[in-house]
Amino acid sequence: MLDVRDLTKTYDPAGTPAMADLTFTVGEREFVCIVGSSGCGKTTMLRCLSGLVAPTSGTVTLDGVPVDGPPKDMAFVFQDYSRSLLPWMTVAGNVGFPLPYKGLSKAQVAAATAEALAAVGLADRGDSYPWQLSGGMQQRVAIARALAYQPRILLMDEPFASVDAQTRADLEDLLLDIWRRYDITILFVTHDIDEAVYLAQRVLVLRRPAHVHEVVEIDLPAERDQLATKQLPRFGELRSHVLSSLRAPDPAVLPG
Amino acid sequence: MQLSTTGTAAPGEPAAAPPTARRGVARDGSRLRTADLGLRRLGLGLAGVVAVVLLLEIVVRVGLLPQAWFPPPSEIFPDFAGLVTTGELFVPLGQTLQGWVLGILAATVVAVPLGVLIGSLELAHRLTRFMLEFLRPIPPVALIPAAVLIFGSNLDMKVFLIAFGTFWPVLLQTVYGVHDVDPTARDTARSYGLAPRAVLLRVTLPSALPYIATGLRIASAIGLILAVTSEIVVGVPGIGVRITDAQSAGGAEALMYAWILAAGLLGWVLNGALQMAERRLLHWHPSFRPGGGR
Repeated sequence: MLDVRDLTKTYDPAGTPAMADLTFTVGEREFVCIVGSSGCGKTTMLRCLSGLVAPTSGTVTLDGVPVDGPPKDMAFVFQDYSRSLLPWMTVAGNVGFPLPYKGLSKAQVAAATAEALAAVGLADRGDSYPWQLSGGMQQRVAIARALAYQPRILLMDEPFASVDAQTRADLEDLLLDIWRRYDITILFVTHDIDEAVYLAQRVLVLRRPAHVHEVVEIDLPAERDQLATKQLPRFGELRSHVLSSLRAPDPAVLPG
Repeated sequence: MQLSTTGTAAPGEPAAAPPTARRGVARDGSRLRTADLGLRRLGLGLAGVVAVVLLLEIVVRVGLLPQAWFPPPSEIFPDFAGLVTTGELFVPLGQTLQGWVLGILAATVVAVPLGVLIGSLELAHRLTRFMLEFLRPIPPVALIPAAVLIFGSNLDMKVFLIAFGTFWPVLLQTVYGVHDVDPTARDTARSYGLAPRAVLLRVTLPSALPYIATGLRIASAIGLILAVTSEIVVGVPGIGVRITDAQSAGGAEALMYAWILAAGLLGWVLNGALQMAERRLLHWHPSFRPGGGR
């Protein structure tokens, strides 16, 4: 459903590109993780995919329609929830405010907001302000906002990078649960290899300048469990595989 | 809160809370303590005022300050009370207040939209930068002669002077505020398909509001100074005229100080009112959050 072809972004015409010939596809209802070390161009990639920034060349198509601005079927969850949530709006306000711009009526907004908040377990916190909630809860509000928008694809930029380990595990399972219950495709960017292997059906290894170095199929059982899945020998193998792919010397930059 | 001339004067800290912080959790015990503390602070403040007034009284009575020019507080307060009870206070007070309100209103109506424009368009920023740097340091009182020539000695002149003087803090604070909008917040709104106008209304303006409020509070003080100045120097009706009248009447020094006291109280009330409005409107801002104000 998401088709990325030869995507290149050069900020400085004289310098090296931030993203070079990035090509991959994400299928309907797929859960794809992208791992890459910091500075490999992940942010540039996401900004181009979400239509916030135009690429220098190449195309992004969502369901056959070229992306040239933020698409109505896509929702973006930012890493920095504390800056992405608006402090002057309540939790419900934050979840609902984009919806009128999508053409929803007042009643529809209220219904979608309530449903999304219930889906992330915050049904009773709609009247709170984001800054009254813990970090994990704030990120759940951001996820609820994305769900209420009823996207077909969810783009997530290291969404759990700034919460503690236990909260992170809970959020990962919450996300898997949402993915199973909703008709939704997820593209999840992280620098945490464990997280990528645990969540995804497929892991794309991104190398600098942003391009897909390797695609790793995650052939773990569909039902994931924080303890059982991570103890599987196959989990360890996949983890090492992704790690070595990230670290493998790049033939292009080897000394001649 | 420093008076902004070169840098930004953002109230408190940036709106972003550290990711792990848990703030604003209501604790009943601490709320009770806060009330106690408030009472204590008020008590101490009042005690300070009483002490200074007493000291002044003594200093004048024993002759350390010449009584001819420094009437003791015990003479000023009755005169002030007389102004209140006879209602004589209220017309000049209203005139000064009128100039203040109209001047700041005129400044705000122009400065905020212009600030938004300059703050959001890099080109506008560059075009106006040098001009602003040049115009801003002009002391507004230097324009009094020109303003009298243009408008005459009337309310228009007073309003113009106040509008000119308060225009800059409001404009600059708006520019800073719009400049300082979190790019993540703006990107969030954009990614949800909000058009530029909607982003401006739903994200940019609310997050610039704390800066604009600071600008208005700075403007409030400047506005009162310029109102009274134009009254004293040019004779536009208001508290300032009553101060010079009392001064030249002879033997009415206590009355003069009573009018000065009125001007001071007006400034104090205006500042308090603005602060209250700010607390209500910006209750979500880190510097006003319950328990989280730092």
